[in-house]
Amino acid sequence: MIKIVKRDQPSKAIFFFTPVLAIFLTLVAGGLIFFILGFKPFEALKFFFIIPIADKYGFSELLLKATPLCLIAIGLSFCFKSNNWNIGAEGQLTFGAIVSGGVALLFYEQEGFYILPIVILAGAIGGMLYASIPAILKTYFNTNEILVSLMLVYVSKLILDYLVVGPWSNPEGFNFPETRQFSDSAKLPLLFEGLRIHAGIFLALAAVVISWFVFYKTYLGFQMKVSGFSLKTAKYAGYKGKKMIILVFLISGACAGLAGVGEITGPIGQLHREISPDYGFTAIIVAFLGRLHPVGIIFASLVVAITYLGAETAQIFMQIPKYTGQVFQGMILFFLLASDYLLFFKIKFIGSKK
Amino acid sequence: MNTNLKISNVTKIYPGCVANDNVSLEFNSGKIYALLGENGAGKSTLVKILSGVIIPDEGKIYLNENNLNLNSPSDAKKNDIGMVFQHFNLFETLSVFENLIIDSDEQRESLREKIDLIMKKYNFPIDLDIPVLNLSAGQKQKVEIIRCLIRNPKVLIMDEPTSVLTEQETSELFLSLKKFSEEGILIIYITHKLKEVMQLCDEVAVMRRGKLVSVSEIKNENIESLANKMVGQNLKTIKKKKAKTSSDQLIKITNLNFTSEDPFETNLMDINFSVNRGECLGIAGISGNGQSELFQVLSGEIISEKKSIEFNNNYIGDLNPQERREYLMAFSPEDRLEQAAIPQMKIFENVALNNFKSSNFFNNGLINENKIKEHSKKIISDFNVNTDNIELKSQFLSGGNLQKLIIGRELITSPDLLICFNPTWGLDVGAINYIHETLIKINEQNKSIILISTDTDELLKLSDKISVIHKGKLSKIMNAEEVTSEKLGILMGGAN
Ligand SMILES: Nc1ncnc2c1ncn2[C@@H]1O[C@H](COP(=O)(O)OP(=O)(O)OP(=O)(O)O)[C@@H](O)[C@H]1O
Ligand SMILES: [Mg+2]
Repeated sequence: MIKIVKRDQPSKAIFFFTPVLAIFLTLVAGGLIFFILGFKPFEALKFFFIIPIADKYGFSELLLKATPLCLIAIGLSFCFKSNNWNIGAEGQLTFGAIVSGGVALLFYEQEGFYILPIVILAGAIGGMLYASIPAILKTYFNTNEILVSLMLVYVSKLILDYLVVGPWSNPEGFNFPETRQFSDSAKLPLLFEGLRIHAGIFLALAAVVISWFVFYKTYLGFQMKVSGFSLKTAKYAGYKGKKMIILVFLISGACAGLAGVGEITGPIGQLHREISPDYGFTAIIVAFLGRLHPVGIIFASLVVAITYLGAETAQIFMQIPKYTGQVFQGMILFFLLASDYLLFFKIKFIGSKK
Repeated sequence: MNTNLKISNVTKIYPGCVANDNVSLEFNSGKIYALLGENGAGKSTLVKILSGVIIPDEGKIYLNENNLNLNSPSDAKKNDIGMVFQHFNLFETLSVFENLIIDSDEQRESLREKIDLIMKKYNFPIDLDIPVLNLSAGQKQKVEIIRCLIRNPKVLIMDEPTSVLTEQETSELFLSLKKFSEEGILIIYITHKLKEVMQLCDEVAVMRRGKLVSVSEIKNENIESLANKMVGQNLKTIKKKKAKTSSDQLIKITNLNFTSEDPFETNLMDINFSVNRGECLGIAGISGNGQSELFQVLSGEIISEKKSIEFNNNYIGDLNPQERREYLMAFSPEDRLEQAAIPQMKIFENVALNNFKSSNFFNNGLINENKIKEHSKKIISDFNVNTDNIELKSQFLSGGNLQKLIIGRELITSPDLLICFNPTWGLDVGAINYIHETLIKINEQNKSIILISTDTDELLKLSDKISVIHKGKLSKIMNAEEVTSEKLGILMGGAN
């Protein structure tokens, strides 16, 4: 007989084991779906998860996709750890890209070492500005940050649309909805000849290290942790709860903005309508799959990045729509939530003895 | 019908501590049983096993000869075992009514009638439609009790139900409990208040360090014998020496008002008092009369007009708690599980919540873990918190030990003024003695205390001056010698 028993105390090992279990279950379920669709499950999974990263180019693509995911998820972990539900990272990414893109366009004929840092900074500031809207509305007007941050995503996309079609569209661009190409000085340097992986990865790695440091070693991180568990206690301790809320939103907006910069000054090199395949939303999954822990987020961003690549290869080789990538992302989240049950309950197998 | 409940050879082991060590006990309806023991003796663990919250490593439970399989709280409910927990289990943002019906499948209307009846019968006047977060601790406790009564339990377990009730409320509760007992409900009652045991119970079981050490009839016991059984040694009684009153003023509150936007909080009206160095000002009152608002105004969680609070010749009304601590004030709130500590965090992290610049817990914005840990170890040994693992999450401390940790955290900084709210709620006699001693010592060192408490005995024992808070207004301040508990009782009821 199988029995479900409550755990006295969630174990640390289980805490990091359930994400692995979730990935495994996703693979099983994915195989099953492929089987139902009439493909050989193992072969299909191979197309999805192995072929795309089997060569140097594929691996570089993996890192390319993982970079924004990791960066955004790190930022989100600040919000989520302190119970601020910012789900508008996609909007902050877009707005960051708009601001930094605007700055890059100002310099479109110029070269100079100083341009790139300004462009990057502009992106971070853009993201922060955009994230400050839900933060300020939440702290001073008691609005719900989930709704505000989500709705602002669509606003930012419409602004981008308007800009690339209208005022910022390339004068020599035959009315394509896109801006001029940025000058080389406004682009992140590529790391290897012939591969698309660019210096943005260092931004992501720096974010990982800094966030680890802030969370676990600083007073600020301690205050965030306390405010996240209980605002009442934070108040009693004398921490400035409202400032803390705004701060985590700003951090997370800056990270999302930087991810936007990485995209437009890296692989894209200009602004156009589709600068992000919903990295800002997918990063929510990454953040939770990585247990809001900086190191966990690195692994989670790699795993989730594969689903983007796999979807592309599967589309090319197996004529499966690329939306299967999103199906896999959804399944990961689903199984993660489901296996979190194991955090609080354990399954006991009881023999037939009475 | 008679109910017989039997605990047979129950053992529960936690890493580093045997919470229940081969405990066997038998209960019969018609009697009220007391379960006594020091903080951490294993009382809550034992009754949590009865209510399905904790599963024992060994041992069986029988109800009327049937072996019960209690794997979850719902198993216990199905078997008509109801429990009021030591710490509240209520959804703060839901209304009282919603909290009461949440685990019931009866119809709302009929339940409402039933609840109304219960409230009338046992005299628990509570507004059913306000959110629980606006209730005082005493009222929350009543909601918990009502929640059990709805299910017509055969067994009713109460883990320290009177910690937050006033004497008046307590004696009302006792009348109800006696009524339940006559109606055939078996009652198991955990408390640290020996007076209550003598008043209410028929039989008493005493636990020490996880073991059952004695079972006896109340008529063969008295308060001293019970105390000695619990602690395993003789307790000395402490008494405050009457201090020579100083006239050196430390804190002065002038025309302090607080109007809450929240209609369910109590407004404070025209509060005026002052406390001299070396003095203890006691503030009595029935819970829910503005004590928690007063505490928050004094601690800085609620900011008031700058000049309304003068401390040591500085106006501090507009400072937050952190800033007030720098002036050497310390605060011990009533709600230690939700406010004074974070249960999910480790002991030493909780210690860092009270932080002075001079304590150097955080240097240049970085956490100084060694310093915090060192300090935590000192608190734990000075205040007899029964663990040596400062990495333990504080939720695994027994109720009393958590309170010792918090009081210790506040006292060890030797503040000029300690403001505490029900500081001995849930402590065993030994620990209460220790805290009282410490409070008296603070006064002897010429430091001051504002003691907000619902326990009149405690107030009379420790205070130099006493005032009573009623509906957000303070009575005039009286010299403690002139006050009797009867007089306090009358003032607490609102008379002049
Ligand atoms: N999950 C746990 N992990 C480790 N130790 C635990 C856990 N739960 C309880 N304990 C320990 O078991 C012992 C018994 O705790 P219990 O809560 O039963 O005490 P108690 O008699 O109710 O005390 P109090 O009067 O302070 O409420 C304590 O020493 C406590 O620290
Ligand atoms: Mg207890």
